[in-house]
Amino acid sequence: MGRHIAFVLALWKTNLLSAMEYRVSFLTQMAGMMLNNAIYFVFWIIFFARFEEVNGWDLVDMLFLFGVVATGFGVGTYLFGNAVRLSLLIASGQMDYYLSLPRPVLLHALASRSNASSAGDCAYGLLSFGAAVYFAGAFDILMLLRFGLGCLAAVTVLISFLVLVQSLTFWIGNTNLLTSNAFNAIVTFSLYPITLFDGTAKLLLFTLIPAAFIGALPAEFVRRFDLAQLAQICAGSAIFLFLATFVFYRGLRRYESGSAFQVRT
Amino acid sequence: MPAVSVRDLRKTFQLKQKAAGLRGSLRALWRPSLQELDAVRGISFSMDEGELLGFIGPNGAGKSTTIKILTGILHPSSGEAEVLGRVPWRQRQELAFQIGSVFGQRPQLWYHLPAVDTFYLFGKIYELDDRELKGRIAFLAEAFEIEELLETPVRKLSLGQRMRCEVAASLLHRPRVLLLDEPSIGLDVVAKQRLRATIQRMNDLEGVGVLLTSHDAGDIEALCRRVIIINDGEIVYRDKVSALRRRYLTVKTVDVRYNEQLPPDFALPGVEMVKVGRYGAKMRFDTRVTPVGPVIGGLAAAGSLADVTVSEPSLEEVIGAIYARAESKDG
Ligand SMILES: Nc1ncnc2c1ncn2[C@@H]1O[C@H](COP(=O)(O)OP(=O)(O)OP(=O)(O)O)[C@@H](O)[C@H]1O
Ligand SMILES: [Mg+2]
Repeated sequence: MGRHIAFVLALWKTNLLSAMEYRVSFLTQMAGMMLNNAIYFVFWIIFFARFEEVNGWDLVDMLFLFGVVATGFGVGTYLFGNAVRLSLLIASGQMDYYLSLPRPVLLHALASRSNASSAGDCAYGLLSFGAAVYFAGAFDILMLLRFGLGCLAAVTVLISFLVLVQSLTFWIGNTNLLTSNAFNAIVTFSLYPITLFDGTAKLLLFTLIPAAFIGALPAEFVRRFDLAQLAQICAGSAIFLFLATFVFYRGLRRYESGSAFQVRT
Repeated sequence: MPAVSVRDLRKTFQLKQKAAGLRGSLRALWRPSLQELDAVRGISFSMDEGELLGFIGPNGAGKSTTIKILTGILHPSSGEAEVLGRVPWRQRQELAFQIGSVFGQRPQLWYHLPAVDTFYLFGKIYELDDRELKGRIAFLAEAFEIEELLETPVRKLSLGQRMRCEVAASLLHRPRVLLLDEPSIGLDVVAKQRLRATIQRMNDLEGVGVLLTSHDAGDIEALCRRVIIINDGEIVYRDKVSALRRRYLTVKTVDVRYNEQLPPDFALPGVEMVKVGRYGAKMRFDTRVTPVGPVIGGLAAAGSLADVTVSEPSLEEVIGAIYARAESKDG
């Protein structure tokens, strides 16, 4: 375990060095992403100014939600930046590199890139959490702990979901379109008040598109402690992590290396 | 125990065909339409510890595929392989600590960073301790003459400089076997020679075994004692490089010039006339069929000689002939 931590830290350091080569673009991308998030949130400010609340969710819940989701996305795609490029890496034979070095392939591949725009997400998320705490008017150190845990769960489920979807590349070749659809779906649904959904739709958000584990569930848990929710969060993370790892390594056996050999018809 | 041993190794690729778009992807998931391609068709060979073994063949012969199987990148369709006593695709990580690989067409150095940053990262990946790593980098920098290049971002290096850094990186952890897939691709004559000399030196110094593929017969001739020639997924020749020369260099080409005009029907028994001019001729014969003595005698008797050149085909031509022979056997 310790040796893997040292290795991943070295990777992150190398990513940072690589990003430093392009400091300016790093900062503009970061600022761009923050602005992007802020504009999106304005929509919800207008929405809740009119409706006050939706089945029990109010603007403060939305602030907590944006806090967890943006931080989770930011941290996830910063530390495991290749999670959004896995399909490309597989289809274009770039997994060769990770396969020729003596480390776990999935971890190595995921952690080998840091997205600059992720830092913007992360900063926005922390601001949103700060605002949520301020308007909720209640804060204690346990809330900070719950926030940390919530973000960790969001990162885990998000990355696992992205890995799962893109592992399909091993079976059916490049899945660019599927990947970007899945990515958009998970972003969109994790930023909705979950109380808008019920029945089948809600079930979907806990299974096929596990947005509930990335957004609503951890956000509610951060606002107030609930043992059942804690259990759900932990179980959800563990299950998705296991599934992703299992499916990825299953697929890896079928990896065909430089398969720029697809025939498009 | 040989460093590498391969028995009846086969690899069949499935070429996926799928229609564009989301619907195409989904349909391909349920009903993939496949076409098969045999890249490697049952090859067997072995390589000794510390040996420099050449592996050559035309484009698409299956060289890279074989090397990828030996590094654990690809799973074979059937057959066995062991590298340093390990099955690459089952004990990939353990093996990776013991072998190094360089793929000329797939750089491993981080593109935007100076090579030394990748070296340090590799140090962590291979679990070298800092002191040892520093010493090793200094040693390799000297051996590969890259001291001045280490701090320059890799994207600013020339191909030859970069390739020296690449090979140096693959030696950081003192591998016992090095798998080099076309390390000399795109290099000029001088850069090639430099790279060859360094590989040779590392082999002398540390006894690292090298399996080397190349399209340049010169690489093989300069470095390897033994060569395997593969064509269309099958081994078509294996022997010492010297034997290759001896066996195939029996064909001599003779260029001769006279001080006086030649008869237009000039010919010698057992010799193929390639071209007959007024004052000279070009001809070819096989020393196993026609001994040298009578040919030279015949040439001298034909008139007053101005000049004679006898030449052998290059290794390049020999290899070309072996490919051609293999093709015609198949066809
Ligand atoms: N990932 C892949 N998917 C499908 N077919 C492949 C794949 N990789 C290689 N092939 C096919 O397998 C055959 C052998 O390829 P390989 O790359 O091993 O040849 P090579 O000897 O290295 O050739 P070159 O000298 O051009 O590098 C070729 O016909 C190639 O098209
Ligand atoms: Mg090749």
